[in-house]
Amino acid sequence: MGLTSPALMAVVAVVGAAALAAILWYWPKLAGGGVVPVLARIAALGVLQLSVLVLIFLIVNSSAEFYSSWSDLFGDQSGGGAIVAGQANAGQSPIGSRSLAPVTLLGSSAVAVPDRPSEAGGHLQTVRLYGQLSGISVPGYVYLPPGYAAASQAALPVTVVVSGELDDPSSSYGAGVLAGAVASQIAAHRIAPMIVVMLPAQVGRHDEGCLNVPGGSQADLFFTQDLPQIIDSDYRATPPATRRWAVVADSSGGYCALQLAMTSSQTFAAAAVPPGSYTAPPGPAVSGGSPQIRAQDDLSWLLTHQPMQPISVLFTGAGPGQPFLSDARPPMRAGQIGLAPGKWQLSRVFDWIGATLNPPAVRS
Amino acid sequence: MIAVALGSVAATVWLWPRFAGQRPAIMAARLGMIAASQLLVLAAVLAFVNGYFAFFGSWSALFGNGGSAPVSVSAAAAPSRPIVVTGSDLGPVPGGSALPEDSNGRLAAKPPHFHGKKAASPGKMAVAPGLDLKGGAVAAARKVGKILQITVTGEHTGIVSAANYVYLPPQYFQPAYAHARFPVVLALTGYPNDTWSIVRWLDLPSTAANLVSRGKIGPAVYVMMNVSVALPRDTECTNVPEGPQAQTFLEQDVPQAVEQTFRVQTGRAGWSVLGYSTGGYCAAKLAMMDPYQFSSAVSLAGYYTALEDSTTGSLYGGSSAFRQENNLDWRLQHLPAPPVSVLVTSSLVGEHDLAGTLAFLHLIRAPMSGYSLLVKQGGHNYGTWVRQLPQSLEWLNQRLSPAVRPAQPTPRRSP
Repeated sequence: MGLTSPALMAVVAVVGAAALAAILWYWPKLAGGGVVPVLARIAALGVLQLSVLVLIFLIVNSSAEFYSSWSDLFGDQSGGGAIVAGQANAGQSPIGSRSLAPVTLLGSSAVAVPDRPSEAGGHLQTVRLYGQLSGISVPGYVYLPPGYAAASQAALPVTVVVSGELDDPSSSYGAGVLAGAVASQIAAHRIAPMIVVMLPAQVGRHDEGCLNVPGGSQADLFFTQDLPQIIDSDYRATPPATRRWAVVADSSGGYCALQLAMTSSQTFAAAAVPPGSYTAPPGPAVSGGSPQIRAQDDLSWLLTHQPMQPISVLFTGAGPGQPFLSDARPPMRAGQIGLAPGKWQLSRVFDWIGATLNPPAVRS
Repeated sequence: MIAVALGSVAATVWLWPRFAGQRPAIMAARLGMIAASQLLVLAAVLAFVNGYFAFFGSWSALFGNGGSAPVSVSAAAAPSRPIVVTGSDLGPVPGGSALPEDSNGRLAAKPPHFHGKKAASPGKMAVAPGLDLKGGAVAAARKVGKILQITVTGEHTGIVSAANYVYLPPQYFQPAYAHARFPVVLALTGYPNDTWSIVRWLDLPSTAANLVSRGKIGPAVYVMMNVSVALPRDTECTNVPEGPQAQTFLEQDVPQAVEQTFRVQTGRAGWSVLGYSTGGYCAAKLAMMDPYQFSSAVSLAGYYTALEDSTTGSLYGGSSAFRQENNLDWRLQHLPAPPVSVLVTSSLVGEHDLAGTLAFLHLIRAPMSGYSLLVKQGGHNYGTWVRQLPQSLEWLNQRLSPAVRPAQPTPRRSP
């Protein structure tokens, strides 16, 4: 009978039941004094106890499959195997079978800074980025500061801009305007050189706040895992572990950027977003039908239910920033600044990012 | 407990004659006495088995501490150190210079008692923040390595996981490796388990030491963690909606804490994850979902679907879509394959997850690569996994970036 067979269990159960019945029935016959009756009592109880224990072992072992056979239990622990490489799956699944480059360069132009030589502004690349894990492919821009091409240039910090207006040349969140604002701050030595990656807030079919949508697009995966890998593969950037990655957003990307910083602080050390309460992601419901996931998507819930994250948050411009401004505690910091007048509204924001990512060596 | 059980049996035998009548009340009394002694003996046996196999390390691990889930975070700031060494004198280091380990040739079944961390004294070797070794201990560590008991506090998740262990190989303490950064294997228990099981039953440190001394593998740091971050709950290394973020803890907090504390590598090439049973599922899952942290994984008798049962409670916030995302088969069918290597093990006879393992293996496609180690027979137990471990560690070694010693001057060959 096999170790896990029902027949064995039945036999043991019958033995146990019979022992119990016999003990109860023949109790008076064993009630005498003297050595023999006492030993008989102990033996009777022992048989019953043993059958109960064996039965329990058999049931537990059978349900958990600890030991599959008698040889498994008693002894034969021999016999190895060889490691075999899985066969390359011929029937490729439709997803991910393409092998796309992480960065496809579509164009590049010099960034002009007023009253400066043309090479002082750096370059703005038009790119398409492909995330290997998320399978997300997205158009964007990469700003490279002046001197980037020089071999002596050290790895640079990275700011990711999430904006719905990248292609709008009149918006202060347009790619060209952003590049100009950063270039002029760098040229004026107000901030150290940095790489700026500009991406749309909507990386899937809908704007879903850069969350991983259960069963849908894995935008969070793209931003937190693919993007550092993409940038590392093609640019001389510092890895996120150096705490020198920031994320900036306009109103359309605000939830996305703050969400990324609050749930993936290992990637983003700083976030600059328009003020708001950020209680729910934009767009259609993305919680996969789960009230618990919807609760987590409220960033103020995260503020009170997870540890304070090691991030710096800046609210850009006028507007309410509660509960973040009042409830943030170290290691999280939260603040608010006004925007500069004119076209290059974000100059001060980039000053703040530069100071946050490159803290001065000596604090006064 | 054993004494109480034996006492109850003795009392039954002693009082036997007083209940020798045949009235129903007397019969009932007999039944009661038998039941009482049986239950007490059973409890004693269960306690012994639990201690022997180290399923639950404490009452709170078995019944919960009655407190709220670890995700509820107090306002108190996290301790400044993500890893605190809670024990360094854990008895003989398994697999030291030569097996067996100590005079008995056996390891204790339970975690040994330890004497807390020793006060740091100047001029000693710093092993970890807050732990320095003194002269004799350094000499010993250079020969046999060191096992430390640690508590890890997750910076991002706030999860605190105590009674875990780190095995530092002898090379970690040797001058030739003073500037080397070691690769890391994150080893996960099954469920339910005390983390010491990895030392005592899986024989991981002694197997690794043995293979290193025979030149089969290079030295590595083994971080041994409990797969459950909230015993008695089975958290399946899942980020539970509104609950413990177990996945983030194991995949981000633990590596970050280890990198900040020990002389280890920081890139994915230097990190892999290994586990058995539930830990096997988690090993495959962590590598597949964070391939930029772990480049390889070994799943000893793991499973590859998203479990949910009475020990796990609700893990997926009631969302079938989120549950699917935790199903590794589903991920391979619906998401791009991650760039990781995974070794799965099973048995042709005796392992009920064999079919599931083969199905998972069949779904693997580039850039992911799958390997299998199937033994002829063996159940879901340490006896089987111990047999599979040496080959598994050699397989891992081929994929881990080695602990590089500083370049030695090459001796010039005379013609």
